Amino acid sequence: MSTIGKSVARVDALGKVTGESRYSGDFDLPNQAYMKILFANRPHAIIKRIFTEQAEALPGVLAVFTAKDVPQNEYGLSMPDQPVLCGLGSAKPFADRVRWIGDQIALVVAETEEIAAKARDLIRVDYEDLPVLTDPLEARDNHEVLLHPDRGSNIFCHYRIRKGDVESAFAEADVIIEGEYRTPVQEHAYLQPEAGLGYIDEAGRVTVNVAGQWTHKDQEQIAHALGLPLDQVRVIYPAIGGAFGGREDMSIQIVLALAVWRLSQRGINRPVKIIWSREESILGHHKRHPYWILTRWGAKKDGKLVAAEVELVADSGGYAYTSTKVLGNATLMCTGPYDIPNVKVDAYAVYTNNMVTGAFRGFGGPQGAFAAETQMNRLAEALQMDPVEIRLKNVLREGDLLSVGTPLPKGVSMPEVIEQCAVKAGWEVLSNDRSQARAIKRSRKDAPENDRGSNLKCGMGFAAAFKNVGFSFGAPEQCWATAEIRGGAEIEEVVISHAAAEVGQGVHTVIGQAAAEAAGVTLSRVRLVTSDTTVTGDSGSVSASRMTFMAGNAVKGAVEAALGKWYAEERPAIAYYQYRAPRTTPLDPQTGKSEPNFAYGYVAEAVRVEVDTETGHIRLVDVITADDVGKAINPQQVIGQIQGAVVQAMGYTLMENFIQQDGFLQTGRFSTYLIPTVLDVPGQIDPYVLEYPDPVGPWGARGMGEMPFLPFAPAVVAAVHDATGIWFNEFPLTPERVLRGLGKLS
Amino acid sequence: MDENNLIKMELTVNGEAVSMIVKGGRRLLDFLRDDLHLTGTKEGCGEGECGSCTVHLDGQSVLACLTPMERAIGCSVLTIEGVGSPTNLHPVQAALLDEGGVQCGMCTPGMVMSALDLLERNPDPTIEEIIEGISGNLCRCTGYKKIIYGIQQAAQELQAASPAGTVKESVE
Repeated sequence: MSTIGKSVARVDALGKVTGESRYSGDFDLPNQAYMKILFANRPHAIIKRIFTEQAEALPGVLAVFTAKDVPQNEYGLSMPDQPVLCGLGSAKPFADRVRWIGDQIALVVAETEEIAAKARDLIRVDYEDLPVLTDPLEARDNHEVLLHPDRGSNIFCHYRIRKGDVESAFAEADVIIEGEYRTPVQEHAYLQPEAGLGYIDEAGRVTVNVAGQWTHKDQEQIAHALGLPLDQVRVIYPAIGGAFGGREDMSIQIVLALAVWRLSQRGINRPVKIIWSREESILGHHKRHPYWILTRWGAKKDGKLVAAEVELVADSGGYAYTSTKVLGNATLMCTGPYDIPNVKVDAYAVYTNNMVTGAFRGFGGPQGAFAAETQMNRLAEALQMDPVEIRLKNVLREGDLLSVGTPLPKGVSMPEVIEQCAVKAGWEVLSNDRSQARAIKRSRKDAPENDRGSNLKCGMGFAAAFKNVGFSFGAPEQCWATAEIRGGAEIEEVVISHAAAEVGQGVHTVIGQAAAEAAGVTLSRVRLVTSDTTVTGDSGSVSASRMTFMAGNAVKGAVEAALGKWYAEERPAIAYYQYRAPRTTPLDPQTGKSEPNFAYGYVAEAVRVEVDTETGHIRLVDVITADDVGKAINPQQVIGQIQGAVVQAMGYTLMENFIQQDGFLQTGRFSTYLIPTVLDVPGQIDPYVLEYPDPVGPWGARGMGEMPFLPFAPAVVAAVHDATGIWFNEFPLTPERVLRGLGKLS
Repeated sequence: MDENNLIKMELTVNGEAVSMIVKGGRRLLDFLRDDLHLTGTKEGCGEGECGSCTVHLDGQSVLACLTPMERAIGCSVLTIEGVGSPTNLHPVQAALLDEGGVQCGMCTPGMVMSALDLLERNPDPTIEEIIEGISGNLCRCTGYKKIIYGIQQAAQELQAASPAGTVKESVE
C-alpha cells in the first residue's frame, strides 16, 4: 500500500487541464481598482523631482504613490539595499537614485487599467543622469562611480578559498590549462507574468494573493516596508505559473500591499489588482547572473589534479538580491566534484547598472560547473586521456575533503553516477578494481567517423556535477508542517497544512504522498491546506532543490507526532512539527573553510550533437542524463523535472541570447528572446534515475530539481569541440557564434 | 459609434448564446477573461508568441490575444471551459493528466486547444505531426516530451473508441 515511489497523478492536475485552476491574475473582487507601475527606464540617475499632479488630476485616478508613502523604504533578501520606490521624501539614504531600468518610481491606482496606464504616462520625472557602469570587471575597480555611495566600493561580497599552496603545486604540474570563460544572462520566462490581487481581509489584515516562492519571507518583507506587525500582513499563493527562482525576490508583492494599505488609510477600502505584461515581467524581475571566470588548473601526466586557481566576478546588477548566496555556491562548485589538494579561489559580487540578478535554477552551480567541467575536458585533451577516465581518477569519494576543507555528507555517489552515465552513453569499463579509478575508454563502435566531405560533424561530450540540497553556509534551515488526523475508530482524513509554494514542480503531490505514507492511509484520504500565512507555518522557500527534502521530513514528523496523539485517543489528533536540517557553517573569510551543505544530489550527462558547419546550427541528437535522486518519491514527476531542466539548460546553452546595451534591454519580449519550442527539443532525452539513498532525506530522497541543469552546457561545449576541434568559452552557441568560432564570419 | 465605443457582442461561447453590450476595441482575450470571466484562457505574452491564449473560432485555432473581439461577433467560440468536464474529461485532457504532461499548468489550456485542433484535422498523426501541431505553444516546465506522448496516447484512444468519429463529439 506504499505511496512512496508511485507515480500518482498530481493533486493539482485536474484543475489545470480543465482551466479551473486560478492563478493570481485570474481573481477579481467586486469594486476592485487597478494598478500600474512607473519604471525608471533609465539605468543610472538621481531623481531631482517627480511631478504627479497631472496624473492625480486625471478622472478615474484614485491615488499616486511615491517613495514618501513607504514607511521603511527598503527591501532585500541578503541586505536591504534596494528602495521599494525610488524617489524623494523617504528616510532611506540614497533612495533618490535609480540603478537599473527596472527600478520602480511610482504606483498609480485607478478605476480601470487603461486609466492607470494613461495616468502613469502623465507622470514626469526630472533626472540627473549618472555614468553608467556595464562592465563588472571595470565596475569592480571603479572607486569614483559608486552605485551605492554608502559603500566604499562596488564590490559588496568577496569570498576566498585558500587550501594548500597552489603556486608550489603548479610548479610541480606536468600540464597547466588556463581558461577564461563568460556565462550569459538568462531570463526565467515562466509562462505566468507577475500578477496579484491585494485587499484588506475580514480580520483587517493587508492581504496579497500573488505568485511567489516563500509566503513567509514575502510577508516579512511587506511588514517591514509598511512598518506593520507580521500578523497584520497576510500572503496567499493560489496556483503559480512557474518560477525557477524568478519569484524569489520582490516584484509586485510589497507595492501591491502598500497601495491597498495606503488607500484604506484614506478611507478607500477597495481591492487592487495588478497584472504585468510580458514586457513588464522581463523588465521588472531579476535574471541569472552572468559570470566572468578566469581559471588555471594543473595536473600530473597520469591525470591527477594538483592545483586549481579560480577568479570569479559576478555581475550583480543594481542591487544585491541573493547575489551573495549565488556567489557562495559558485565558489564551492567552480572546482567541480573533484579532490584537489591545492585550491585558491577569489569570488566577487559587483554592482553594475545592468539588469538585476538573483536566483535561477542552479544558483551559481551552472556557472561554476561550466568552468570546472570545461577545464576537466580540456585537461583530458591535453593529456590525451578519456574525459570519463580523468574524472574517475579525481572524483570526490566518501570521506574526501572538499575545497572548503570538510568532507561531503555521507552518501556520496558521484563515482557511481559518472560511471553509470558513461556506460549508458557507450563507454566501456575496462577494469574491475574498485579501489582505483576504473579505466574507461569510449567504445569506438559508437563514434561515427565524420565524413570529411560533409558539413555535418558529430561529437560527444561529457560532464558531471554536484548540487547542494537546501540552504547553504549557515543560513537557517527549517520547515513547519501541521497534521490533523480525523476520524473515530479509523482514520478518515489526514489534513496537512503546509506553506510550500507549488510552482509546477509537484511539491503538493509529494506532500500528499508523504502524509499518506506516514499515516498508513491512501492518498485519497489526505487533504491539503496550503500557502496562506494565517494557517500554514513557515516552510522556507521552494528553491535550493530543498522542498521535497524539507517538507517530506516535516510532514513525516508532523504525522508521526499526530499519530502518537491519535493512539492516545485524542480526536482530532493535531500536531505541529518543525523539521530542522543538520547545521551548516559559513565560509571562513580568510580560508573559506566551512561545512557548506547537509545534502547533495549528483548528476552526470553525456550529450551527442551534430554541428552544421555551413549554418552554425547545432542539433542535439541525444542527451543521456544520470541523476541520483536518493529516492524517487514520484518517478513520473522526477522524470518531468529532469526533462524540463534539460530543455531549459538547452535554451541557456544554444538559444537564449539576452542582449542589454548601456544598461538598456534589447530583448524584452518573447519575439526577441527565444526560449525552446517543441521543435527545438533534443531528439532523445534518456533520463536514468538512480537511487542511492541519502541518510537524512525523507525515505532517502535528495533534492533534484536543479541538478540536471548543471552539466549540460559544458557537455555540449565538449561535444562541439569533439565535432569541430573548437573550444567555445562563451555561450549561447547561436549559429552566429558557432560560425564565428569556426572562422567563417569575418 | 458613441464616445465609450460600446458595442453589442452577440456570439456563441462554449455552446451558449451570449449577448452583451460592452466596450469595444479590445482583444477577444480581454472579452473572454474580463467580460465573461472565463479565465482558463491565459495571457503569456500578448504578442502571439506563446500560444497560451489559443481558442477555437468557428472551428479554427486562433490566438485570442491577436484577435479583435469584434471579429467574433456572430461566431462560435470554444475555450478550455467548453472542453470536457471534471467528471468527464476529454481524452486529450485525461492523457496530459495521466502522462505527467502538466506541471505549472499555464500552457495547458492552450496545449489542449491546439491538440484538439490537430486531432480534428489529423486523427492519426505521426510524432512529427504532433510536434508541428503544438509548435506554437511554449512550455517552460515540462520539456515537451510528456505532452507529445500524452497527445499521442489521446489520439490512439480516440481512434480505438471511434475510428470514424470526430473530436467534436467529445466536446460539450
